[in-house]
Amino acid sequence: MDTWIAAAVFLATYAIIATERLDRTVAALAGGVAMVVLGIVTQEEALAAVELDVILLLASMMVIAGVLRETGFFQWVAIRSVHAAGGDPIRLLIVLAFVTAVLSAFLDNVTTVVLIAPVTLFVAATLGVSPLPFLIAQILASNIGGAATLVGDPPNILIGAATGLDFVDFLVNMAPVAIVVLAASLGWLGWVLRRSVSSTVDVDVALASLDADQVITDVGLLRRSLLVLGLTIVGFLLGGTLGLEPATIALTGATVLLLVTSRDIHAALDEVEWPTIAFFVGLFIVVEGIVAAGIVERIADGLLQLTGGDPTLTTIGLLWFSGVASAVIDNIPYTATMIPVVFELGNAGVPIEPLWWALALGACLGGNATIVGASANVVASGMAARAGHPISFRMFVRYGIPVTLLSLAISSVYLWMRYLT
Amino acid sequence: MTDDAPDHRERPEARLDRSARVADCVQLLAIEPLLVHTGDDLLEVLRRAAHQPSTRLIGVVDDAGIMIGVIRIRDLVEDVLANTIPEALMSDLSSVEDVARFGQQVEARIAGEAMLPPAVVPPDATVVAAFRRMLKDGLSGVYMIDADGRPIGYLDRLELAYLATMGLPPTGQRPSDG
Repeated sequence: MDTWIAAAVFLATYAIIATERLDRTVAALAGGVAMVVLGIVTQEEALAAVELDVILLLASMMVIAGVLRETGFFQWVAIRSVHAAGGDPIRLLIVLAFVTAVLSAFLDNVTTVVLIAPVTLFVAATLGVSPLPFLIAQILASNIGGAATLVGDPPNILIGAATGLDFVDFLVNMAPVAIVVLAASLGWLGWVLRRSVSSTVDVDVALASLDADQVITDVGLLRRSLLVLGLTIVGFLLGGTLGLEPATIALTGATVLLLVTSRDIHAALDEVEWPTIAFFVGLFIVVEGIVAAGIVERIADGLLQLTGGDPTLTTIGLLWFSGVASAVIDNIPYTATMIPVVFELGNAGVPIEPLWWALALGACLGGNATIVGASANVVASGMAARAGHPISFRMFVRYGIPVTLLSLAISSVYLWMRYLT
Repeated sequence: MTDDAPDHRERPEARLDRSARVADCVQLLAIEPLLVHTGDDLLEVLRRAAHQPSTRLIGVVDDAGIMIGVIRIRDLVEDVLANTIPEALMSDLSSVEDVARFGQQVEARIAGEAMLPPAVVPPDATVVAAFRRMLKDGLSGVYMIDADGRPIGYLDRLELAYLATMGLPPTGQRPSDG
């Protein structure tokens, strides 16, 4: 009976999140509370299921990004990139997307896309072209860049916290394929979008007066913020050796930043997206419910029967299934659900390491397929619409699906060559 | 205007009643409307506004002279800066709403692209109704229109507040509710 109740709560939560009948945070919290009230998990199990390291890592990185945002750093980087790109609109598109990808590897994708956007919008208006090709390329690049590191995208944070895989593990295993995927995707986007961004304006002259230094609001704050961010990244790199969890390093970074910048704690904590944090809390309990009810074990058994336990088939199958699933549903609950499934597959004898990378790649890169596939897509398309340039579902998938297929194909080859031969 | 700079405009000697008609207020204040056409270049609009600082809300009319929108001075300055000195705005854009607004600003070149819906009152509206109209949309003024929708006068929020409170003792000397 518990199995059916847990399944019903889980499916209802998923359905509400997918259909947006309720705010996703409210849906996840309601699902978590239902699991406790209906006796699927005890209060102690529910509290133990909430992974504090994920919560602290997310919140700490949001504080760091929030302080950095105030300095004008993102716009400074974007303007410098515009000058570096010279007068070629296609090169501008590719360079701005590349910068978005690099920043997204270390900071929240939504923040990156939103803060690069002002420069993008100005550049497009100056050239007299639509900003949409630029924005679409940046959205796609942010999701690819986010896949490269442990802190780049929430699915990676979830996988890292559950498995103990650290920043270096992600960098070594995810960054190489993310770089190839980014290069291939930007190459393709540059080719298909070349006519959309061609301009009769002399780009060099039109943008020459943009002064990057003028967007810096506080040089001292910028220096201190970058120093702390740099040290935090070094901490991530050394964390495995030093025996420090990513959450500990990020929390230390955020705390040091607050100390050296004398920021008001209330203002700093305002930068944390509390609905996202609460969303994670609810999800952890919902997933614990289906684990406790034995549903995860059954899903894993079903997958094993389907693939016969063959490592290649299971790994590549998980990659593509994750890619397709993340295209239509939120990749955060999807990853949270699949983590215990992958553990079960590992227990059944399937080599587990390739499965983690398959899950991470599928969940992060699959979000590029549709306009609802990832938070950056949803937020940036909403922003574009309010700026007078709506991105239709059809328009987005015209670029999103090919980039996703290309990404998953490259990832398949990578996983096969590196882990399965 | 500073305390040292005398205001040469003549003001009435008695405080306005709150039920006073807009038409009477417009006549008392006698502030010249600042009207532009939808196709007017924003830089030209800015220059005109700078030469007529006592009109703090710009009216936009169509070819038939019908009021079709207004431009706030603050918005006008931001729109012009977005196109000319965008660095002044960029680093303060932190929310999705801010960036979306900036996206509209960088593309605004003429009055018709920068205007808000018209803020108007009929001549027989009261002072209270005029204030309500201005405060609702955060406007510095409001235009009085005739039956055909043509602007026939301008009412400034600050000047109207001055008239409506003239002769009252300072706030701290008035009895409080408590």
